[in-house]
Amino acid sequence: MLEVKHLSKIYDDGTHALNDISFEVKDGEFLVVIGLSGSGKSTLLRCINRLIEPTSGQVIWDGQDVTAADPSQLRRVRRQIGMIFQHFNLVKRLPVLTNVLTGRLGYVSAARSILGRWSGADRARAMANLELVGIANKAHNRADELSGGQQQRVGIARALMQDPKLLLADEPVASLDPATSHSVMKYIEQLNREMGVTVLCSLHFLSLARTYATRIIALKDGVIVFDGGPLDIDDARFREIYGEEAVEVEIR
Amino acid sequence: MSQADSLPRTSHNPTLATLLSLIVPGSGQAYTGKRERGLLILLTAGVLIFLLGWLNLWVLAPLALPFWLWQAWEARLYAQGRNPGTMRLVLSIALLVYAIGWQVTQIDLSRVITSAPKVVPFVTGLVQPSYFDRQIDTTSIPAAIQIPCGTTPNLSSATDTGPTMRLSAACANPGDRITISGAGFPADTEGEIWFQNAIGDRARARGTDGLLAFVADENGAFSIDALMPVVANSDPQTHRLEAQYVTRVGPLGLSETSRLVIGRMGETIAQALMATTLGAILAVFISFFAARNLMRVNPATLAVYYVTRTLLNILRAVEPLIMAIVFVVWVGLGPFAGVLALTVHSIAALGKLYSEAIESIEPGPIEAITATGANRLQVIWFGVLPQVWPPFIAFTVYRWDINVRMSTIIGFVGGGGIGFLLQQWIRLTDFRAAGAAIWAIALVVIALDFLSSEVRKRVV
Ligand SMILES: Nc1ncnc2c1ncn2[C@@H]1O[C@H](COP(=O)(O)OP(=O)(O)OP(=O)(O)O)[C@@H](O)[C@H]1O
Ligand SMILES: [Mg+2]
Repeated sequence: MLEVKHLSKIYDDGTHALNDISFEVKDGEFLVVIGLSGSGKSTLLRCINRLIEPTSGQVIWDGQDVTAADPSQLRRVRRQIGMIFQHFNLVKRLPVLTNVLTGRLGYVSAARSILGRWSGADRARAMANLELVGIANKAHNRADELSGGQQQRVGIARALMQDPKLLLADEPVASLDPATSHSVMKYIEQLNREMGVTVLCSLHFLSLARTYATRIIALKDGVIVFDGGPLDIDDARFREIYGEEAVEVEIR
Repeated sequence: MSQADSLPRTSHNPTLATLLSLIVPGSGQAYTGKRERGLLILLTAGVLIFLLGWLNLWVLAPLALPFWLWQAWEARLYAQGRNPGTMRLVLSIALLVYAIGWQVTQIDLSRVITSAPKVVPFVTGLVQPSYFDRQIDTTSIPAAIQIPCGTTPNLSSATDTGPTMRLSAACANPGDRITISGAGFPADTEGEIWFQNAIGDRARARGTDGLLAFVADENGAFSIDALMPVVANSDPQTHRLEAQYVTRVGPLGLSETSRLVIGRMGETIAQALMATTLGAILAVFISFFAARNLMRVNPATLAVYYVTRTLLNILRAVEPLIMAIVFVVWVGLGPFAGVLALTVHSIAALGKLYSEAIESIEPGPIEAITATGANRLQVIWFGVLPQVWPPFIAFTVYRWDINVRMSTIIGFVGGGGIGFLLQQWIRLTDFRAAGAAIWAIALVVIALDFLSSEVRKRVV
């Protein structure tokens, strides 16, 4: 279980990106965070594995205080938390397979990984994960030779290598077209349903959130303005989250 | 002028404005309210007058007329509330500036034509580079002489077939004149007379007009006077006079010039290689301190960043040729001085390029690798290095290419490499050898240019 308690983030320039955020995520949930651009979604997700240091508050993961973890404890926490990104964040010049294998970095020694001495088991798993997301044939291509949707699937395969109990997905489909978006979201849904990975995913489009979420949190100016089921967001709620002039767009 | 109508009419007197500007350039403009422009015109006029005076170029004064008249006319237009534009003012100033520039740089196109004959030997040398040559065979015809004359002048000149040389006396005192007669030499042979003393030291023999050389006539004979040198020992000793000439024999082979060119070219390339490698290694370290994104951590590191950047900028501003002069004074003539000069310049140039490559890395992959629980070393290895090594390699190969170019001329100031030979040959007016060096430089530079661009294509 993930508990976020009174989390705040104030950037160096004085921006209050998160203001006293508290919520819980139960194991197996598919929690979607929605909100306008700049509402603090990315900041929230990055505070959970401390890619961004929270200014105050606590993140408790499986009973361990992540915010108080020392560097080696933090690495151990991070390796259980997979993460995928809007811009995929693959290492462009490295082959797809190596990119996937980097998901194991938290588990193997620095020397072995740098020498490229991945175990046979890790290699086999990397191939199996690529198979799972349907791009095993691209294993030896350079990562930047793949299309956006394929790159995001590599991102998922990389996260899978971590044996994650939690997956953080920061707008995983925001730079993909609608059809590809759904195919990527389906893979994430599969992890959630079949492997029991808890998912915390930020999304731009409410329609996508309604389709995949088991629960939705809405952020506005760093504060939670909605927390409930996907069907509880009516027009009034919608305008509250997105502003009076907003019109809902469907993604099919 | 359509926009003239839209400008507000002013109450300034056009004639007064013109007169003012004719007397003091720019004052008319100031009078019509165009203070800045007036000041600028006044300053420009001041600078131009100063230049004409300083360089004593008053002959160019008439060329200042367009500027002077136009700025006065401009004042009138302003007074009439019209906009004269800037184009003509700039052109009239440019006319004078270029005229001064032409004079200062002593451009004299006619000399290019009239002095053309002087470059002919050079061009001839260039089209006949002395890469190949027959073997040189040196023939020496000796004759013995005793200095000073002793009691028992007992010398015999061995004569056999082929060239012979006879002296007018068997012994002589220092300063005496001896007539050397040769016979049986190949017709029209040119050669030198050498003096070899009793213990084997050799020097060119001297005549009344300096160093002795001979030219055999069509019968292979010559006759020439030599002055006997002062010798160390006052006891009579037997010394030797030699008539020496070279003949070219055998098939064409690589000339001595080629051997020198190849050797020094190797030195040039090695110099560039050493300098590039040393420079690259040091630049990699330095570049991290010159990368803003890494040094933003706190004010102290930011200060280090600025200091490093400034140092690199200063170093880069100094031409390697000038550095080579400094290092020649420091470590002496030779390739090492050249290596040092090129190394310092490479550090400066590569340090900047590397640091810019570091500054432009994407944070995304680093973030993603960090999120997997990787440690710092793993993050650098998998997140940072793959992003920076391709540009590093490309910049380094390119620098090597540049360094080869530079090390071809660094020898001109004593820094070693082929430039040293080229500069010597040009001074000795051995243009065929100079031609050989120049073609070799061109070939190597073109080859490396090609090679480096191929490598760059492949890594990026
Ligand atoms: N490094 C930073 N320094 C200063 N302010 C930042 C920084 N990163 C984000 N912010 C600010 O924090 C606020 C929240 O940003 P965040 O990126 O979390 O929003 P978001 O909801 O992810 O937006 P988007 O949908 O556009 O990705 C914004 O006002 C943003 O300008
Ligand atoms: Mg974001």
